[in-house]
Amino acid sequence: MLRQDINELLTRTGPGTAMGELFRQYWMPACLAEELPEDGCPPIRLKLLSERLVAFRDSYGNYGLIDEFCAHRGASLWFGRNEDGGLRCPYHGWKYDTTGQCVEVPSEADNSSFAENVKLTSYPLVKIGDVLWTYMGDPATQPPLPEFEFALTPPEHHYTSKRWQQSNWLQAFEGGIDSSHVTFLHSGGLRSDPLFKGAKGNQYNLNDTKPFFEVADSDGGLFVGARRNAEEGSYYWRITPWVMPSFTMVPPRGDHPIHGHFWIPIDDENCWAYSFDYHPMRPLTEAERQAMVDGHGVHSKNIPGTYRPEANMDNDYLMNREKQRTGEWYSGVEGIAIQDSSLQESMGPIVDRTKERLVPADSGIIKARQKLYRAATALRDKGVTPPGVDPAHHHVRSAAVVLPQKEAFLAAARDDVRVRPGFPISSV
Amino acid sequence: MTVAVQTQTLSSCARAATAQEARYRIDRPIAPSRAGRVVALDEGAADVLSRTAQHDWANARFYVCEAGAGAAGDVVLRGIDGGPATLADELASASVVVMVATNDSGVGGAYALGKACWERGIQTAGLVLGDGTHAGTAAAAAVAALRPHARVLLPSADEADVVDLLSALRV
Repeated sequence: MLRQDINELLTRTGPGTAMGELFRQYWMPACLAEELPEDGCPPIRLKLLSERLVAFRDSYGNYGLIDEFCAHRGASLWFGRNEDGGLRCPYHGWKYDTTGQCVEVPSEADNSSFAENVKLTSYPLVKIGDVLWTYMGDPATQPPLPEFEFALTPPEHHYTSKRWQQSNWLQAFEGGIDSSHVTFLHSGGLRSDPLFKGAKGNQYNLNDTKPFFEVADSDGGLFVGARRNAEEGSYYWRITPWVMPSFTMVPPRGDHPIHGHFWIPIDDENCWAYSFDYHPMRPLTEAERQAMVDGHGVHSKNIPGTYRPEANMDNDYLMNREKQRTGEWYSGVEGIAIQDSSLQESMGPIVDRTKERLVPADSGIIKARQKLYRAATALRDKGVTPPGVDPAHHHVRSAAVVLPQKEAFLAAARDDVRVRPGFPISSV
Repeated sequence: MTVAVQTQTLSSCARAATAQEARYRIDRPIAPSRAGRVVALDEGAADVLSRTAQHDWANARFYVCEAGAGAAGDVVLRGIDGGPATLADELASASVVVMVATNDSGVGGAYALGKACWERGIQTAGLVLGDGTHAGTAAAAAVAALRPHARVLLPSADEADVVDLLSALRV
Protein backbone atom coordinates (compact mmCIF):
# COMPACT_ATOMS: atom_id res chain seq x y z
CA MET A 1 0.00 0.00 0.00
CA LEU A 2 0.97 3.61 -0.41
CA ARG A 3 -0.19 6.64 1.52
CA GLN A 4 -2.70 8.73 -0.40
CA ASP A 5 -0.56 11.86 -0.22
CA ILE A 6 2.39 10.02 -1.74
CA ASN A 7 0.17 8.49 -4.42
CA GLU A 8 -1.01 11.97 -5.30
CA LEU A 9 2.52 13.28 -5.44
CA LEU A 10 3.76 10.49 -7.70
CA THR A 11 0.84 10.52 -10.13
CA ARG A 12 0.31 14.25 -10.75
CA THR A 13 2.66 15.65 -13.38
CA GLY A 14 1.13 18.96 -14.42
CA PRO A 15 3.00 22.27 -14.15
CA GLY A 16 3.96 23.14 -10.59
CA THR A 17 3.57 19.64 -9.19
CA ALA A 18 6.52 17.90 -7.56
CA MET A 19 6.43 14.96 -9.96
CA GLY A 20 5.82 17.27 -12.90
CA GLU A 21 8.91 19.23 -12.01
CA LEU A 22 10.86 15.98 -11.73
CA PHE A 23 9.84 14.95 -15.27
CA ARG A 24 10.82 18.41 -16.46
CA GLN A 25 14.43 17.71 -15.50
CA TYR A 26 14.80 15.13 -18.25
CA TRP A 27 14.89 14.87 -22.00
CA MET A 28 11.93 12.69 -22.90
CA PRO A 29 10.15 11.48 -26.02
CA ALA A 30 7.71 14.07 -27.35
CA CYS A 31 6.63 12.17 -30.46
CA LEU A 32 7.95 9.88 -33.15
CA ALA A 33 9.96 11.40 -35.95
CA GLU A 34 7.55 9.76 -38.43
CA GLU A 35 4.83 12.12 -37.19
CA LEU A 36 6.67 15.03 -38.81
CA PRO A 37 7.93 13.23 -41.89
CA GLU A 38 9.12 16.11 -44.08
CA ASP A 39 9.95 19.80 -44.14
CA GLY A 40 6.83 21.94 -44.10
CA CYS A 41 4.54 19.03 -43.25
CA PRO A 42 1.31 19.52 -41.27
CA PRO A 43 1.78 20.29 -37.56
CA ILE A 44 0.57 17.87 -34.89
CA ARG A 45 -1.15 18.43 -31.59
CA LEU A 46 0.62 17.09 -28.52
CA LYS A 47 -0.20 17.09 -24.87
CA LEU A 48 2.70 16.39 -22.53
CA LEU A 49 2.74 16.69 -18.76
CA SER A 50 -0.72 18.31 -19.00
CA GLU A 51 0.49 21.07 -21.33
CA ARG A 52 -1.14 21.46 -24.74
CA LEU A 53 1.40 21.96 -27.46
CA VAL A 54 1.83 21.83 -31.18
CA ALA A 55 4.88 20.30 -32.86
CA PHE A 56 5.96 21.22 -36.35
CA ARG A 57 8.83 20.96 -38.80
CA ASP A 58 9.28 24.16 -40.69
CA SER A 59 10.07 24.54 -44.34
CA TYR A 60 13.80 24.58 -43.56
CA GLY A 61 13.73 21.36 -41.50
CA ASN A 62 13.84 22.93 -38.05
CA TYR A 63 11.72 21.24 -35.40
CA GLY A 64 9.56 23.27 -33.03
CA LEU A 65 7.41 22.47 -30.02
CA ILE A 66 5.34 25.44 -28.95
CA ASP A 67 2.20 26.42 -27.08
CA GLU A 68 -0.77 25.15 -29.07
CA PHE A 69 -2.66 28.42 -28.97
CA CYS A 70 -2.07 31.63 -30.84
CA ALA A 71 -1.18 34.54 -28.56
CA HIS A 72 -3.72 36.75 -30.33
CA ARG A 73 -7.15 35.21 -29.70
CA GLY A 74 -6.30 31.70 -28.53
CA ALA A 75 -7.03 29.78 -31.71
CA SER A 76 -5.32 26.42 -32.08
CA LEU A 77 -2.20 26.45 -34.18
CA TRP A 78 -2.99 22.90 -35.24
CA PHE A 79 -4.91 24.71 -38.00
CA GLY A 80 -1.75 26.63 -38.80
CA ARG A 81 -0.25 27.03 -42.25
CA ASN A 82 3.30 25.72 -42.22
CA GLU A 83 4.97 28.15 -44.57
CA ASP A 84 8.34 29.77 -45.15
CA GLY A 85 10.08 29.08 -41.85
CA GLY A 86 7.12 29.39 -39.54
CA LEU A 87 3.62 28.39 -38.53
CA ARG A 88 0.97 30.91 -39.41
CA CYS A 89 -2.33 31.11 -37.56
CA PRO A 90 -5.02 31.04 -40.27
CA TYR A 91 -7.33 33.26 -38.23
CA HIS A 92 -5.51 36.59 -38.53
CA GLY A 93 -2.16 35.56 -39.93
CA TRP A 94 0.11 35.78 -36.93
CA LYS A 95 3.20 33.71 -37.62
CA TYR A 96 5.60 31.93 -35.25
CA ASP A 97 9.00 30.36 -35.73
CA THR A 98 10.15 27.11 -34.09
CA THR A 99 11.21 28.93 -30.93
CA GLY A 100 7.69 30.30 -30.46
CA GLN A 101 8.83 33.78 -31.43
CA CYS A 102 6.15 35.71 -33.24
CA VAL A 103 7.74 36.93 -36.46
CA GLU A 104 4.78 38.50 -38.20
CA VAL A 105 1.58 40.30 -37.19
CA PRO A 106 -0.01 41.36 -40.50
CA SER A 107 -2.34 43.93 -38.96
CA GLU A 108 0.63 45.94 -37.63
CA ALA A 109 2.57 48.47 -39.59
CA ASP A 110 5.43 47.14 -41.68
CA ASN A 111 8.04 48.70 -39.41
CA SER A 112 6.26 47.76 -36.16
CA SER A 113 8.24 46.00 -33.46
CA PHE A 114 5.08 44.56 -31.90
CA ALA A 115 5.82 40.98 -32.97
CA GLU A 116 9.19 41.04 -31.22
CA ASN A 117 7.41 41.25 -27.89
CA VAL A 118 5.20 38.25 -28.54
CA LYS A 119 6.66 34.85 -27.82
CA LEU A 120 4.86 31.61 -27.11
CA THR A 121 6.19 29.10 -24.63
CA SER A 122 8.43 26.73 -26.51
CA TYR A 123 10.58 23.73 -25.82
CA PRO A 124 13.50 22.29 -27.78
CA LEU A 125 12.70 19.38 -30.08
CA VAL A 126 15.60 17.22 -31.21
CA LYS A 127 15.65 14.10 -33.39
CA ILE A 128 17.69 11.21 -32.06
CA GLY A 129 16.90 7.84 -33.59
CA ASP A 130 13.21 7.41 -34.35
CA VAL A 131 12.20 9.83 -31.62
CA LEU A 132 11.83 13.58 -31.29
CA TRP A 133 12.96 14.44 -27.78
CA THR A 134 12.06 17.46 -25.73
CA TYR A 135 13.15 19.08 -22.51
CA MET A 136 10.40 21.02 -20.74
CA GLY A 137 12.35 22.38 -17.80
CA ASP A 138 14.31 25.49 -16.99
CA PRO A 139 16.61 26.28 -19.95
CA ALA A 140 19.33 27.18 -17.47
CA THR A 141 19.52 23.59 -16.27
CA GLN A 142 19.03 21.83 -19.60
CA PRO A 143 21.11 18.65 -19.49
CA PRO A 144 23.12 17.18 -22.36
CA LEU A 145 21.15 15.17 -24.91
CA PRO A 146 20.07 11.64 -23.99
CA GLU A 147 22.36 8.73 -24.80
CA PHE A 148 20.13 5.68 -24.68
CA GLU A 149 21.68 2.97 -26.82
CA PHE A 150 18.48 2.10 -28.70
CA ALA A 151 18.30 5.58 -30.19
CA LEU A 152 21.97 5.78 -31.12
CA THR A 153 22.26 2.61 -33.17
CA PRO A 154 22.09 2.90 -36.99
CA PRO A 155 18.54 3.31 -38.33
CA GLU A 156 18.42 -0.21 -39.72
CA HIS A 157 19.21 -1.62 -36.27
CA HIS A 158 16.20 -0.24 -34.42
CA TYR A 159 12.44 0.20 -34.52
CA THR A 160 10.28 2.37 -32.27
CA SER A 161 6.51 2.53 -31.90
CA LYS A 162 4.11 4.19 -29.53
CA ARG A 163 0.62 3.66 -28.27
CA TRP A 164 -1.88 5.65 -26.28
CA GLN A 165 -2.61 4.16 -22.87
CA GLN A 166 -5.67 5.38 -21.01
CA SER A 167 -4.23 5.36 -17.52
CA ASN A 168 -1.89 7.31 -15.33
CA TRP A 169 1.76 6.89 -16.23
CA LEU A 170 2.77 5.30 -12.92
CA GLN A 171 0.64 2.18 -13.11
CA ALA A 172 1.83 1.68 -16.69
CA PHE A 173 5.48 2.14 -15.76
CA GLU A 174 5.22 -0.18 -12.76
CA GLY A 175 4.45 -3.03 -15.13
CA GLY A 176 7.88 -2.50 -16.64
CA ILE A 177 9.71 -3.43 -13.46
CA ASP A 178 7.29 -6.13 -12.37
CA SER A 179 9.03 -9.29 -13.58
CA SER A 180 6.72 -11.65 -11.75
CA HIS A 181 3.74 -11.08 -14.04
CA VAL A 182 5.55 -12.33 -17.14
CA THR A 183 5.26 -15.99 -16.20
CA PHE A 184 1.50 -15.67 -16.07
CA LEU A 185 0.16 -12.88 -18.21
CA HIS A 186 2.65 -13.28 -21.06
CA SER A 187 3.19 -17.04 -20.85
CA GLY A 188 1.49 -17.62 -24.19
CA GLY A 189 3.78 -15.14 -25.90
CA LEU A 190 6.89 -16.93 -24.71
CA ARG A 191 5.80 -19.93 -26.76
CA SER A 192 4.41 -18.27 -29.84
CA ASP A 193 5.51 -14.65 -30.32
CA PRO A 194 7.98 -14.46 -33.22
CA LEU A 195 10.08 -11.95 -31.29
CA PHE A 196 10.32 -14.10 -28.16
CA LYS A 197 9.98 -17.75 -29.01
CA GLY A 198 12.79 -20.25 -29.35
CA ALA A 199 15.14 -18.86 -26.72
CA LYS A 200 16.60 -21.31 -24.27
CA GLY A 201 15.84 -18.90 -21.45
CA ASN A 202 12.12 -19.23 -22.09
CA GLN A 203 12.23 -22.74 -20.76
CA TYR A 204 13.80 -21.57 -17.52
CA ASN A 205 10.98 -19.06 -17.27
CA LEU A 206 8.27 -21.61 -17.83
CA ASN A 207 9.85 -24.28 -15.62
CA ASP A 208 10.20 -22.08 -12.55
CA THR A 209 7.14 -19.97 -11.80
CA LYS A 210 8.34 -18.80 -8.39
CA PRO A 211 11.42 -16.70 -9.06
CA PHE A 212 13.55 -15.09 -6.39
CA PHE A 213 14.10 -11.35 -6.72
CA GLU A 214 16.91 -8.96 -5.94
CA VAL A 215 16.46 -5.20 -6.19
CA ALA A 216 19.65 -3.13 -6.24
CA ASP A 217 20.29 0.57 -6.62
CA SER A 218 22.02 1.88 -9.70
CA ASP A 219 23.34 5.34 -10.46
CA GLY A 220 20.27 6.16 -12.55
CA GLY A 221 17.62 4.08 -10.81
CA LEU A 222 17.49 0.37 -10.15
CA PHE A 223 18.44 -3.04 -11.38
CA VAL A 224 15.79 -5.68 -10.70
CA GLY A 225 17.12 -9.22 -10.91
CA ALA A 226 14.79 -12.20 -11.17
CA ARG A 227 16.47 -15.51 -10.61
CA ARG A 228 15.20 -18.94 -11.56
CA ASN A 229 16.70 -22.37 -11.31
CA ALA A 230 18.85 -23.38 -14.25
CA GLU A 231 21.14 -26.39 -14.56
CA GLU A 232 22.60 -27.89 -11.41
CA GLY A 233 24.63 -25.32 -9.49
CA SER A 234 23.49 -22.33 -11.53
CA TYR A 235 20.74 -19.75 -11.73
CA TYR A 236 19.11 -18.09 -14.71
CA TRP A 237 19.01 -14.34 -14.06
CA ARG A 238 16.85 -11.84 -15.89
CA ILE A 239 18.02 -8.33 -15.13
CA THR A 240 15.79 -5.33 -15.76
CA PRO A 241 17.27 -1.83 -15.59
CA TRP A 242 15.20 1.20 -14.73
CA VAL A 243 16.53 4.67 -15.43
CA MET A 244 14.56 7.43 -13.81
CA PRO A 245 11.96 8.56 -14.35
CA SER A 246 10.39 6.03 -16.72
CA PHE A 247 12.86 4.15 -18.94
CA THR A 248 12.93 0.38 -18.61
CA MET A 249 14.31 -2.46 -20.64
CA VAL A 250 13.06 -6.02 -20.89
CA PRO A 251 15.68 -8.75 -20.47
CA PRO A 252 16.53 -10.28 -23.86
CA ARG A 253 15.70 -13.71 -25.21
CA GLY A 254 18.22 -15.56 -27.35
CA ASP A 255 19.41 -13.54 -30.32
CA HIS A 256 16.12 -11.71 -30.64
CA PRO A 257 16.36 -7.92 -30.63
CA ILE A 258 16.37 -6.35 -27.18
CA HIS A 259 13.49 -4.10 -26.20
CA GLY A 260 12.14 -1.66 -23.71
CA HIS A 261 9.85 1.24 -22.99
CA PHE A 262 9.39 4.84 -21.99
CA TRP A 263 6.17 5.89 -20.28
CA ILE A 264 5.44 9.56 -20.77
CA PRO A 265 2.52 11.32 -19.09
CA ILE A 266 0.08 12.99 -21.47
CA ASP A 267 -1.97 14.19 -18.54
CA ASP A 268 -2.77 12.56 -15.23
CA GLU A 269 -5.13 10.00 -16.77
CA ASN A 270 -3.35 9.17 -20.02
CA CYS A 271 0.16 8.34 -21.08
CA TRP A 272 2.22 7.36 -24.11
CA ALA A 273 3.89 3.99 -24.06
CA TYR A 274 6.93 4.18 -26.32
CA SER A 275 8.25 0.74 -27.22
CA PHE A 276 11.54 0.09 -28.93
CA ASP A 277 13.50 -2.86 -30.25
CA TYR A 278 17.08 -2.84 -31.38
CA HIS A 279 20.01 -5.08 -31.99
CA PRO A 280 23.38 -3.50 -31.29
CA MET A 281 25.28 -5.93 -33.52
CA ARG A 282 23.22 -6.29 -36.67
CA PRO A 283 20.36 -4.77 -38.66
CA LEU A 284 16.90 -6.02 -37.85
CA THR A 285 15.80 -8.65 -40.33
CA GLU A 286 12.88 -7.96 -42.61
CA ALA A 287 10.84 -10.55 -40.74
CA GLU A 288 11.65 -8.97 -37.38
CA ARG A 289 10.76 -5.50 -38.54
CA GLN A 290 7.52 -6.72 -40.09
CA ALA A 291 6.63 -8.54 -36.85
CA MET A 292 7.11 -5.28 -34.96
CA VAL A 293 4.99 -3.37 -37.46
CA ASP A 294 2.34 -6.07 -37.07
CA GLY A 295 2.21 -5.52 -33.32
CA HIS A 296 4.19 -8.50 -32.08
CA GLY A 297 6.68 -8.44 -29.23
CA VAL A 298 6.27 -5.32 -27.13
CA HIS A 299 4.58 -3.39 -29.92
CA SER A 300 0.89 -2.93 -30.64
CA LYS A 301 -1.25 -3.02 -33.74
CA ASN A 302 -2.74 0.42 -33.90
CA ILE A 303 -5.76 1.81 -35.70
CA PRO A 304 -4.36 3.03 -39.02
CA GLY A 305 -3.47 6.70 -38.93
CA THR A 306 -3.52 6.79 -35.14
CA TYR A 307 -1.52 5.59 -32.18
CA ARG A 308 -4.53 4.00 -30.50
CA PRO A 309 -4.36 0.20 -30.34
CA GLU A 310 -6.95 -1.67 -32.37
CA ALA A 311 -7.75 -3.66 -29.25
CA ASN A 312 -8.78 -1.08 -26.69
CA MET A 313 -11.24 -0.51 -23.90
CA ASP A 314 -13.99 0.46 -26.31
CA ASN A 315 -14.10 -3.04 -27.74
CA ASP A 316 -13.22 -4.87 -24.53
CA TYR A 317 -9.74 -5.44 -25.94
CA LEU A 318 -11.24 -8.04 -28.30
CA MET A 319 -11.38 -10.45 -25.40
CA ASN A 320 -11.31 -14.09 -26.49
CA ARG A 321 -12.46 -16.47 -23.76
CA GLU A 322 -11.62 -19.52 -25.82
CA LYS A 323 -7.97 -18.48 -26.12
CA GLN A 324 -8.03 -17.74 -22.41
CA ARG A 325 -9.38 -21.22 -21.71
CA THR A 326 -6.70 -22.92 -23.77
CA GLY A 327 -3.94 -20.72 -22.35
CA GLU A 328 -2.82 -19.55 -25.77
CA TRP A 329 -3.52 -16.03 -24.50
CA TYR A 330 -3.41 -16.37 -20.74
CA SER A 331 -5.77 -13.45 -20.08
CA GLY A 332 -7.78 -13.87 -23.27
CA VAL A 333 -6.23 -10.72 -24.74
CA GLU A 334 -3.82 -10.93 -27.66
CA GLY A 335 -0.33 -9.48 -27.59
CA ILE A 336 2.13 -8.51 -24.88
CA ALA A 337 1.41 -4.78 -25.07
CA ILE A 338 -2.36 -5.04 -24.88
CA GLN A 339 -2.21 -7.74 -22.24
CA ASP A 340 -0.45 -5.15 -20.11
CA SER A 341 -2.52 -2.13 -21.04
CA SER A 342 -5.86 -3.93 -20.64
CA LEU A 343 -5.15 -4.78 -17.03
CA GLN A 344 -3.46 -1.49 -16.20
CA GLU A 345 -6.36 0.49 -17.65
CA SER A 346 -8.82 -1.71 -15.78
CA MET A 347 -7.37 -0.36 -12.53
CA GLY A 348 -9.02 2.98 -13.31
CA PRO A 349 -7.48 6.26 -14.48
CA ILE A 350 -5.35 6.58 -11.33
CA VAL A 351 -5.21 3.46 -9.22
CA ASP A 352 -5.94 3.89 -5.52
CA ARG A 353 -2.77 2.51 -4.00
CA THR A 354 -4.04 2.82 -0.44
CA LYS A 355 -6.08 -0.31 -1.16
CA GLU A 356 -3.22 -2.47 -2.37
CA ARG A 357 -2.04 -5.63 -0.68
CA LEU A 358 1.54 -5.88 -1.83
CA VAL A 359 3.76 -8.90 -1.35
CA PRO A 360 7.54 -9.15 -1.05
CA ALA A 361 7.76 -9.96 -4.77
CA ASP A 362 6.62 -6.39 -5.36
CA SER A 363 9.82 -5.02 -3.83
CA GLY A 364 10.97 -3.54 -7.13
CA ILE A 365 7.82 -1.46 -7.30
CA ILE A 366 8.09 -0.49 -3.64
CA LYS A 367 11.69 0.61 -4.11
CA ALA A 368 10.97 2.51 -7.32
CA ARG A 369 8.19 4.48 -5.69
CA GLN A 370 10.50 5.33 -2.82
CA LYS A 371 13.21 6.55 -5.18
CA LEU A 372 10.76 8.64 -7.19
CA TYR A 373 9.38 10.18 -4.01
CA ARG A 374 12.83 10.92 -2.65
CA ALA A 375 13.99 12.44 -5.91
CA ALA A 376 10.89 14.58 -6.36
CA THR A 377 10.99 15.94 -2.82
CA ALA A 378 14.76 16.48 -2.88
CA LEU A 379 14.35 18.46 -6.08
CA ARG A 380 11.43 20.43 -4.70
CA ASP A 381 12.94 21.13 -1.29
CA LYS A 382 16.66 21.36 -2.00
CA GLY A 383 17.06 21.65 -5.75
CA VAL A 384 18.90 18.34 -5.98
CA THR A 385 19.38 17.07 -9.55
CA PRO A 386 17.73 13.65 -9.73
CA PRO A 387 19.29 10.38 -10.89
CA GLY A 388 18.93 9.67 -14.58
CA VAL A 389 19.56 13.20 -15.78
CA ASP A 390 23.25 12.54 -16.43
CA PRO A 391 23.57 10.84 -19.85
CA ALA A 392 26.12 8.48 -18.31
CA HIS A 393 23.19 6.93 -16.45
CA HIS A 394 21.60 6.00 -19.78
CA HIS A 395 24.34 3.55 -20.70
CA VAL A 396 22.56 0.47 -19.44
CA ARG A 397 21.34 -2.77 -20.96
CA SER A 398 19.08 -5.48 -19.75
CA ALA A 399 20.59 -8.95 -19.60
CA ALA A 400 19.67 -12.60 -19.31
CA VAL A 401 22.54 -14.69 -17.97
CA VAL A 402 23.23 -18.01 -16.31
CA LEU A 403 25.50 -17.59 -13.30
CA PRO A 404 26.96 -19.93 -10.69
CA GLN A 405 24.66 -20.02 -7.68
CA LYS A 406 27.20 -18.41 -5.39
CA GLU A 407 27.70 -15.35 -7.62
CA ALA A 408 26.11 -12.02 -6.71
CA PHE A 409 24.15 -11.06 -9.78
CA LEU A 410 25.32 -7.49 -10.12
CA ALA A 411 28.92 -8.21 -9.26
CA ALA A 412 29.03 -11.04 -11.79
CA ALA A 413 26.98 -9.30 -14.46
CA ARG A 414 28.24 -5.73 -14.08
CA ASP A 415 29.64 -5.69 -17.62
CA ASP A 416 26.51 -7.33 -18.99
CA VAL A 417 24.24 -4.52 -17.82
CA ARG A 418 26.23 -1.63 -19.24
CA VAL A 419 26.52 -0.52 -22.83
CA ARG A 420 29.71 -1.77 -24.41
CA PRO A 421 29.90 -0.68 -28.03
CA GLY A 422 30.89 -3.59 -30.23
CA PHE A 423 29.86 -6.18 -27.68
CA PRO A 424 26.69 -8.22 -28.08
CA ILE A 425 23.91 -8.21 -25.55
CA SER A 426 24.18 -10.89 -22.86
CA SER A 427 21.33 -13.24 -23.55
CA VAL A 428 20.27 -16.85 -23.19
CA MET B 1 -40.66 17.26 -35.73
CA THR B 2 -38.76 14.37 -34.30
CA VAL B 3 -35.19 14.58 -33.16
CA ALA B 4 -33.07 11.50 -33.48
CA VAL B 5 -31.10 10.92 -30.33
CA GLN B 6 -28.08 8.74 -30.79
CA THR B 7 -26.94 7.04 -27.65
CA GLN B 8 -23.51 5.50 -27.56
CA THR B 9 -23.25 2.23 -25.72
CA LEU B 10 -19.93 1.99 -23.97
CA SER B 11 -18.21 -1.35 -23.76
CA SER B 12 -18.01 -3.04 -20.41
CA CYS B 13 -14.32 -2.19 -20.05
CA ALA B 14 -14.70 1.44 -21.12
CA ARG B 15 -17.54 2.00 -18.70
CA ALA B 16 -15.79 0.23 -15.83
CA ALA B 17 -12.52 2.14 -16.21
CA THR B 18 -13.98 5.59 -15.61
CA ALA B 19 -13.33 7.64 -12.50
CA GLN B 20 -17.08 7.75 -11.91
CA GLU B 21 -17.28 3.97 -11.73
CA ALA B 22 -14.33 3.88 -9.33
CA ARG B 23 -16.68 5.40 -6.75
CA TYR B 24 -18.52 2.11 -6.61
CA ARG B 25 -15.58 -0.02 -5.69
CA ILE B 26 -16.19 -1.77 -2.40
CA ASP B 27 -14.59 0.32 0.27
CA ARG B 28 -14.26 -1.64 3.43
CA PRO B 29 -11.37 -1.38 5.87
CA ILE B 30 -8.52 -3.67 4.98
CA ALA B 31 -7.46 -5.91 7.80
CA PRO B 32 -3.73 -6.31 8.28
CA SER B 33 -3.03 -9.24 6.04
CA ARG B 34 0.46 -10.05 7.13
CA ALA B 35 1.72 -11.16 10.47
CA GLY B 36 5.26 -9.94 10.00
CA ARG B 37 8.24 -11.13 11.94
CA VAL B 38 11.24 -8.89 11.48
CA VAL B 39 14.57 -10.34 12.55
CA ALA B 40 17.92 -8.61 12.96
CA LEU B 41 20.74 -11.01 12.15
CA ASP B 42 23.54 -8.96 13.68
CA GLU B 43 24.20 -6.05 16.02
CA GLY B 44 24.11 -3.36 13.36
CA ALA B 45 20.75 -4.60 12.16
CA ALA B 46 19.51 -4.73 15.74
CA ASP B 47 20.20 -1.02 16.13
CA VAL B 48 18.14 -0.28 13.05
CA LEU B 49 15.26 -2.48 14.14
CA SER B 50 15.17 -0.96 17.60
CA ARG B 51 14.34 2.33 15.90
CA THR B 52 12.04 0.80 13.30
CA ALA B 53 10.02 -0.91 16.01
CA GLN B 54 9.07 2.51 17.39
CA HIS B 55 6.78 3.13 14.41
CA ASP B 56 3.13 2.16 14.51
CA TRP B 57 2.77 -1.35 13.17
CA ALA B 58 -0.42 -3.32 12.86
CA ASN B 59 0.90 -6.80 13.27
CA ALA B 60 4.68 -6.81 13.22
CA ARG B 61 7.04 -8.12 15.85
CA PHE B 62 10.74 -7.42 16.00
CA TYR B 63 13.52 -9.74 17.13
CA VAL B 64 17.23 -10.17 17.34
CA CYS B 65 18.72 -13.47 16.29
CA GLU B 66 21.34 -14.11 18.93
CA ALA B 67 22.94 -17.40 18.21
CA GLY B 68 22.51 -20.46 16.19
CA ALA B 69 25.58 -20.12 14.03
CA GLY B 70 25.79 -23.51 12.48
CA ALA B 71 23.17 -26.14 12.96
CA ALA B 72 19.67 -25.77 11.65
CA GLY B 73 17.09 -25.17 14.33
CA ASP B 74 19.75 -23.89 16.67
CA VAL B 75 18.54 -20.31 16.38
CA VAL B 76 17.77 -18.27 19.49
CA LEU B 77 15.52 -15.25 19.26
CA ARG B 78 14.86 -12.49 21.69
CA GLY B 79 12.44 -9.67 21.30
CA ILE B 80 13.89 -6.32 20.35
CA ASP B 81 12.90 -5.18 23.84
CA GLY B 82 14.92 -8.01 25.38
CA GLY B 83 12.10 -10.43 26.07
CA PRO B 84 12.53 -14.12 25.29
CA ALA B 85 11.05 -15.63 22.16
CA THR B 86 10.91 -19.07 20.64
CA LEU B 87 11.33 -19.48 16.93
CA ALA B 88 8.69 -22.13 16.53
CA ASP B 89 6.15 -20.13 18.48
CA GLU B 90 6.86 -16.93 16.61
CA LEU B 91 6.60 -18.58 13.23
CA ALA B 92 3.38 -20.36 14.13
CA SER B 93 1.36 -17.25 13.40
CA ALA B 94 3.69 -15.58 10.89
CA SER B 95 3.00 -15.05 7.22
CA VAL B 96 6.18 -13.20 6.30
CA VAL B 97 9.64 -13.05 7.83
CA VAL B 98 11.89 -10.14 7.00
CA MET B 99 15.57 -10.66 7.79
CA VAL B 100 17.85 -7.65 8.15
CA ALA B 101 21.64 -7.85 8.08
CA THR B 102 24.70 -5.65 7.82
CA ASN B 103 27.33 -8.40 7.60
CA ASP B 104 27.60 -12.16 7.40
CA SER B 105 27.83 -12.88 11.12
CA GLY B 106 24.23 -14.02 11.08
CA VAL B 107 24.66 -16.64 8.37
CA GLY B 108 23.67 -19.42 10.75
CA GLY B 109 20.55 -17.59 11.78
CA ALA B 110 19.64 -16.89 8.17
CA TYR B 111 19.99 -20.55 7.35
CA ALA B 112 17.86 -21.64 10.28
CA LEU B 113 15.21 -19.02 9.68
CA GLY B 114 15.11 -19.68 5.96
CA LYS B 115 14.77 -23.39 6.47
CA ALA B 116 12.08 -23.01 9.10
CA CYS B 117 10.12 -20.64 6.87
CA TRP B 118 10.46 -22.89 3.85
CA GLU B 119 9.14 -25.85 5.84
CA ARG B 120 6.15 -23.80 6.96
CA GLY B 121 5.46 -22.08 3.65
CA ILE B 122 6.22 -18.64 5.07
CA GLN B 123 7.32 -15.93 2.66
CA THR B 124 10.79 -14.46 3.30
CA ALA B 125 12.48 -11.20 2.45
CA GLY B 126 15.98 -9.97 3.20
CA LEU B 127 17.41 -6.50 3.46
CA VAL B 128 21.12 -5.87 3.56
CA LEU B 129 22.00 -2.46 4.92
CA GLY B 130 24.92 -0.96 3.04
CA ASP B 131 26.20 -1.58 -0.46
CA GLY B 132 26.02 -5.29 -0.96
CA THR B 133 26.53 -5.09 -4.70
CA HIS B 134 30.32 -4.77 -4.59
CA ALA B 135 32.40 -7.80 -3.65
CA GLY B 136 34.61 -7.68 -0.62
CA THR B 137 32.38 -5.63 1.63
CA ALA B 138 30.65 -6.77 4.81
CA ALA B 139 27.34 -6.05 3.11
CA ALA B 140 28.28 -8.25 0.15
CA ALA B 141 29.07 -11.06 2.54
CA ALA B 142 25.66 -10.53 4.10
CA VAL B 143 24.05 -10.75 0.66
CA ALA B 144 25.77 -14.06 0.00
CA ALA B 145 24.60 -15.35 3.37
CA LEU B 146 21.00 -14.29 2.80
CA ARG B 147 20.60 -15.10 -0.89
CA PRO B 148 19.63 -18.75 -0.53
CA HIS B 149 17.08 -17.99 2.16
CA ALA B 150 15.28 -14.83 1.09
CA ARG B 151 12.68 -14.98 -1.68
CA VAL B 152 13.24 -11.28 -2.17
CA LEU B 153 16.52 -9.57 -1.40
CA LEU B 154 17.42 -5.89 -1.33
CA PRO B 155 21.22 -5.94 -1.39
CA SER B 156 21.75 -2.19 -1.08
CA ALA B 157 19.11 -1.10 1.39
CA ASP B 158 19.05 1.63 3.98
CA GLU B 159 17.03 2.17 7.12
CA ALA B 160 14.18 3.81 5.22
CA ASP B 161 13.85 0.71 3.05
CA VAL B 162 13.01 -1.34 6.12
CA VAL B 163 10.22 1.03 7.06
CA ASP B 164 8.96 1.37 3.48
CA LEU B 165 8.91 -2.36 2.85
CA LEU B 166 7.07 -3.12 6.06
CA SER B 167 4.60 -0.30 5.42
CA ALA B 168 3.92 -1.51 1.89
CA LEU B 169 3.32 -5.03 3.22
CA ARG B 170 0.84 -3.70 5.79
CA VAL B 171 2.46 -5.62 8.66
